[in-house]
Amino acid sequence: MTPALIWRWPTPNGLPPLPLVGGVLALLAGLWLTAPIVEVDFVRLIGSFGRMLAFAGQMFVTPDWEYVPQLLAKMLETIEMTVLSTAIAIVVSLPLGILAASNATPHPVVYRLTRDLLSLMRALPELVWALVFVSAVGLGPLPGVMALAFVTVGFMGKFFAESIEVVDHKAVEGVRAHGAGWLQVRLFAMLPQALPDFVGTVMYILDHNLRAAAILGLVGAGGIGYDLVMSMRLFQYDRLLLIALAIYVVVTVLDRASDRLRSRIIHGRRA
Amino acid sequence: MNVHDLKSARPQPLPPKPRNPMPVWVAATLAMLWLIVWDLEISFETLAYGVEDMAEYFSRYGQPDFTDLSRYLYLMGVTLATALWGTVFALLVAFFLAPLAARNFAPNVVTYRIARETLNFMRAMPDLLLALIFVAALGLGPLPGALALGVHTAGFLGKFFAESLERVDKGVCEGVASTGANFAQMVMYAGWPSILREALGYVLYILDRNVRMASVLGLVGAGGIGLALHDTLRLFDYGQSAALILVILATILIIDYASAWLRRRLD
Amino acid sequence: MSAISIQSVSKRFPNGFEALKGIDAEIRSGSFTVVLGPSGAGKSTLLRLMNGLETPTTGMVRIDGEIVDRRKVRHIRSRVAMVFQQFNLVDRLSVVTNVLTGRLAHRSWVGSVFYLFRQEDLGIAREALCRVGLIDKAWSRADKLSGGQQQRVGIARALAQRPKVILADEPVASLDPVSSEEIMTLLREICDRDGITVVVNLHQVDLARRFADRIIGMNGGRIVFDGKPEEMTQSVLRTIYQREGIEDDTSLDMALAYA
Ligand SMILES: Nc1ncnc2c1ncn2[C@@H]1O[C@H](COP(=O)(O)OP(=O)(O)O)[C@@H](O)[C@H]1O
Ligand SMILES: [Mg+2]
Repeated sequence: MTPALIWRWPTPNGLPPLPLVGGVLALLAGLWLTAPIVEVDFVRLIGSFGRMLAFAGQMFVTPDWEYVPQLLAKMLETIEMTVLSTAIAIVVSLPLGILAASNATPHPVVYRLTRDLLSLMRALPELVWALVFVSAVGLGPLPGVMALAFVTVGFMGKFFAESIEVVDHKAVEGVRAHGAGWLQVRLFAMLPQALPDFVGTVMYILDHNLRAAAILGLVGAGGIGYDLVMSMRLFQYDRLLLIALAIYVVVTVLDRASDRLRSRIIHGRRA
Repeated sequence: MNVHDLKSARPQPLPPKPRNPMPVWVAATLAMLWLIVWDLEISFETLAYGVEDMAEYFSRYGQPDFTDLSRYLYLMGVTLATALWGTVFALLVAFFLAPLAARNFAPNVVTYRIARETLNFMRAMPDLLLALIFVAALGLGPLPGALALGVHTAGFLGKFFAESLERVDKGVCEGVASTGANFAQMVMYAGWPSILREALGYVLYILDRNVRMASVLGLVGAGGIGLALHDTLRLFDYGQSAALILVILATILIIDYASAWLRRRLD
Repeated sequence: MSAISIQSVSKRFPNGFEALKGIDAEIRSGSFTVVLGPSGAGKSTLLRLMNGLETPTTGMVRIDGEIVDRRKVRHIRSRVAMVFQQFNLVDRLSVVTNVLTGRLAHRSWVGSVFYLFRQEDLGIAREALCRVGLIDKAWSRADKLSGGQQQRVGIARALAQRPKVILADEPVASLDPVSSEEIMTLLREICDRDGITVVVNLHQVDLARRFADRIIGMNGGRIVFDGKPEEMTQSVLRTIYQREGIEDDTSLDMALAYA
């Protein structure tokens, strides 16, 4: 500590705390080391601004109105895939969630196994599973729905289990004291308490699945994604504009709706 | 009211049972799902046929071929680096936008609305779409991928941060404001210190998510391990595909455990 | 010269409730004033107007001749410190850093957003912590302290501002009697030694009597008494604490019998 130092941190020695400095330095070192791998090149970045602008300029074209019916059909398909996969996932996740909740599981071994199974299911992104399922059952929305449902179970089962784990123990004791059986305790004491949390989870997952469904078409697994990539590759900016707009609108509407619903659940009926 | 009152009170008929709309909802949901299945032309025959073949199909992944392991590990490294850069980019953007998008910190309603809408817009653009655009502008490679992840998740991170900032105790804000602090000082003294732990949790979550997404960005030419997987699958090279999937799986599980550990340490 | 001048101030909240209905008062520089009144009388609102945390609907508040308005609010606040009932410290920051927030308005924001402070600011913070007797807790986190200690940090933060005026909104309402005594003594001593004008909102009649130079009694958004502690008789207390629409208020009689 030099007395000549004018600027000081509010710490005993006037220097920033060591863990903070260490963390920041480690992060900077990480970024510096990985910069060549990621090919970070600021000249190239700045140079690309022109092309970005040109690209944005190309988006200002008269939309291809002829394409609208097909667009609507594809968007509908995307939404349908989202809803169907989420519904399948809910049905599968509920029992798995009970098995994976430490206070509801029949046996610690079952708990451990279910937890690991769920974490394996959510480990790989939907797109990887979509690739695999497309080569298994062929092109179309089916492999997309399978991939979405599969990964979603991994997330939903975990979230459900966590909501069940935090339910109030007293209510559970109360039902048990009235002679309820194993399944009755879980159905009538635990699930109703965890229900508001479940609804929040389902809204979150719907949101996530919609975004995912919009790009699964990239590997031929249905939805708007295929048209998106094709119009991109073929420089059909009059279509791309419409597709991007449609995705933006649908995602935003669902986003707002789920925000509203969640805050209603958290802050009570009226919010 | 005492016991006597209770006895003398005439038994009153129960109020009419509120009608339970549950069955209607269940029926409507089932009908809608059936319609969806019908509209998507999902045939259960294909599915049943598929299930039969599925076991055989997946058995082809039985012998992972690790001859090219060092290349896979390098590609995984590229993927991780892409996720790291994307997350740091998102963190930087969110750090500056979130205080403007938090009602109680924003200097005025106009900046608040602009910041909110910017975040909404970034969130609404799927990262693969952004990656496609950035690849077109920047050329192939991991950089457009990192940018796409960064822009998309900046929208999420900014929203999470802004919501945490809005939950900061009003008294604490007034305590700092009453000293005459300006906007930047309010954010640095009343804002971030109060939400530090929550914010770190969100950053870890986004990092986790970006690693998953970075591993598929290769599909649109944005570098990483995804492109290799796409190619081997197209060539029906199940051994190499299996090896690639296992590498991705192992990495993501390691990150999963590491971030769970870090989160526990933070509490 | 008066440090604070309040001229026909009224305050109507957005929900239509009129919390202050025409307040006029001059507060002499270097004096110790206690504002007394039942809950909901408008004490907090009045105090918050002096710091710019609320703006008056009509009328104006001047500090040293300067009108408190939106544009000058940060300049005003740098000279008018505030102490809160719930202390309102930043829990996760150290005691010193909390005290140093008192210096924020006096420094450019460039250094302060990186938590960099001048040596002299640390000196001021140390001095303020010595004044309130908490120098040994300087590096603890603010939320690890007891209520009385947190309130003393709040006062140290106010002192670090080198203010002309300290406003304290029910500073002892969340504290035990001994800590309350300490805090009030501290505020009185700051007023006497540094010549800082102090305005305190209080619930406790006895504390008001013992510490104040002047007592302002409020009820229903109006000033109903203004005078020296000696002039505050039982009948004055009655007007201060009377409740609307209640003729024979036994609770009021009982409460005042021991005041
Ligand atoms: N932000 C506000 N909006 C509406 N009414 C308020 C608000 N703040 C205070 N009030 C009302 O103004 C009245 C005076 O409040 P306050 O000044 O806090 O009284 P005191 O501090 O004397 O208890 C109370 O009736 C209170 O409900
Ligand atoms: Mg009050």
